[in-house]
Amino acid sequence: MKEEQKQTIHEKYQRALQKGERFWPDSIYKDLVVSFGIFIVLVLMAAFVGVPGEPKADPSDSSYVPKPEWYFLFLFKFLALYGQIPGIGKIEWIATALIPGLALLLLFVLPLTDKNPFRHYTRRTLALTVMGVFVVSVIALTMIANVPTATDENGRMTLSTWLQFLAGLILPGLAYLVLIALTPLARKWGVAARKAQVWSATVASVGMLALGLVVMLTAPPAAASEVEVAGTVGEKMSLGMDLYSVYCTECHGVDGDVTVITGVEGLEGKVVSPISSSDVMYTLTDETLANIIAYGQQGLGMPPFGRAYGGELSPSEIDYIVTYIRYTWDDRAEIPADAVLTSIPELAEGEVPSYEIHISALVKRYCVSCHRAGKDNNNYLMTSYDEMLTTGDNSPVMVAGDAESLNLVLINGTEVTDPKTGNVIRAMPPNKLLDQKYIDMLTLWVLNGMPNTAVEAQALSAPTPTP
Amino acid sequence: MWKKLWKNIFAWFDERLGLNDLYKATLDRPEPKGNWWNTLGSASLFLFVLQGLTGIFLTVYYTPSPDHAYDSIQYIMTGVEFGWLIRGIHHWGASLMVMVVFIHMLRVFVTASYKYPRELTWLIGVGLLLVTLGMGFTGYLLPWNQKAFWATTVGTAIAGSVPWVGEFILKALRGGTDLNALTLSRFFSAHIWILPVMLAGLIGVHLFLIIKHGESAFPEKED
Repeated sequence: MKEEQKQTIHEKYQRALQKGERFWPDSIYKDLVVSFGIFIVLVLMAAFVGVPGEPKADPSDSSYVPKPEWYFLFLFKFLALYGQIPGIGKIEWIATALIPGLALLLLFVLPLTDKNPFRHYTRRTLALTVMGVFVVSVIALTMIANVPTATDENGRMTLSTWLQFLAGLILPGLAYLVLIALTPLARKWGVAARKAQVWSATVASVGMLALGLVVMLTAPPAAASEVEVAGTVGEKMSLGMDLYSVYCTECHGVDGDVTVITGVEGLEGKVVSPISSSDVMYTLTDETLANIIAYGQQGLGMPPFGRAYGGELSPSEIDYIVTYIRYTWDDRAEIPADAVLTSIPELAEGEVPSYEIHISALVKRYCVSCHRAGKDNNNYLMTSYDEMLTTGDNSPVMVAGDAESLNLVLINGTEVTDPKTGNVIRAMPPNKLLDQKYIDMLTLWVLNGMPNTAVEAQALSAPTPTP
Repeated sequence: MWKKLWKNIFAWFDERLGLNDLYKATLDRPEPKGNWWNTLGSASLFLFVLQGLTGIFLTVYYTPSPDHAYDSIQYIMTGVEFGWLIRGIHHWGASLMVMVVFIHMLRVFVTASYKYPRELTWLIGVGLLLVTLGMGFTGYLLPWNQKAFWATTVGTAIAGSVPWVGEFILKALRGGTDLNALTLSRFFSAHIWILPVMLAGLIGVHLFLIIKHGESAFPEKED
């Protein structure tokens, strides 16, 4: 830059200062207004949106679909699209290192390479159009980032992937080429070339956004995986109790006091330590308990439950079980005031239980651990209303109004010999009978025709006497 | 009488600290006519300070180890008075900061404020944008949840694909071949020491340059 040019710039700036304002208080007041606004927005976001919950990191769960922070999504999508290019798409570092590196370099050295002395937007067509196309392509890539790229059975890209390709790579790429190609012509054509640049940038931008929208709107909604995440101890205990009922009750019993396992295939007669005893609670830390659940005690017969060792539970889920166990059985642990356990609802005088409210909770707590698919249970499953009524080798096990139904006989502690096979059907639950009030609840339910919903049960209940 | 006392105290400090000169140099400056878009730089600075303050509060309870990171954050969210507010502000502030810094850059680009004599201010500004993104990247891992773990696995793998030095970068970032406790402590130290110190230093130079050259004037038709 020539000295006189610099001189002009300085003189112009001095003139602008003459007509200008003071930093204090004229412009700092605007700064403060904006900063205060930002602060208010953040407080509102923290209060009303909060931070979404996520389960604990699970290095063994490789099925998890990684998602970066939103402002990196465009890069992520760019890489995914680039990877679909035949041939060159396999050379990863071009997209991961070379292109972003060059873009950054361009950004860094911009003041040195931009020799255009003008500052007003009407005289910076190339710079502004290129930056415009870049920003719009970032927006378009972010929009379509959650739509996966896919190939059909012949290895060809699907229509959606083609459109993504067009929006995220081809349109911006073409636009850059056209914009740069038009620049040398600007000297010859003048305004016409500039207009052509503005038009091509606009067309490309509108195209990218429109295609991005089409891809977004036509994409099948992503299957939202519902993972319950507990925050407070109370929430952890509730989730932990449900998990305990399914995975642990089978061997350790509802109250964790079983010493000899009964009725479990392969583990019949095994001696286990009563896990709710103070011997266990006082000597094993949370970490040890979590390790035992994850790895099992394979030498002693306890199978692994952690996903890392071939089980089904994530680290968060194991954590919930440990929390439940600790706060329920360790008499040194103080249950926080907010911990409300979802227990089995009590019956009011004259009320008829329903599956929806009472029986499902009862069954979940005491029966489902064995009576679910994949367990030794005479094929009797209890995870839904229909299953309870229709499944099992000895179906039907419950007949509406019949007090002699097989299930009622069993839960009252009587063993039955199967007339067809001669096998003994054990009293249920095998290690300890239910509380009398729960036996009564089930009996009452069967005698009243096993209502499914609360409304049906309400219709059967004795009307509440009104004074 | 009070007025006189105050005057004397101020004079004493001014003589030794040069408060008046400081005031003239930093606050009582002439400026070209302002524009609301010009507030984005100071908004970025405000967000940096806010992130710093909330971040310092968070480190009081946060434990950077794979065994305790997740639980310590749960404790901040449910057990600490107003922990949810501090973490919420820090969480959303990070997103907003990236957005504000980026829009600030766009503003500077559109008004061509990076041209003579403010080339260095731009260069340092791009550095600030990069370090801000680095803060976002390192901070994302710290809650040690599923999202954090797998995003960082992929993110570091991308850094590892650089030819020749990729392997080295990958191992330097992760502190091993896989994500582990060392990764977490490295990211933590980068997030609370290395990058913030870089940011603070660069911000200092950035501000010095702004005061030296003055805020750029909004370009007019003949500029």
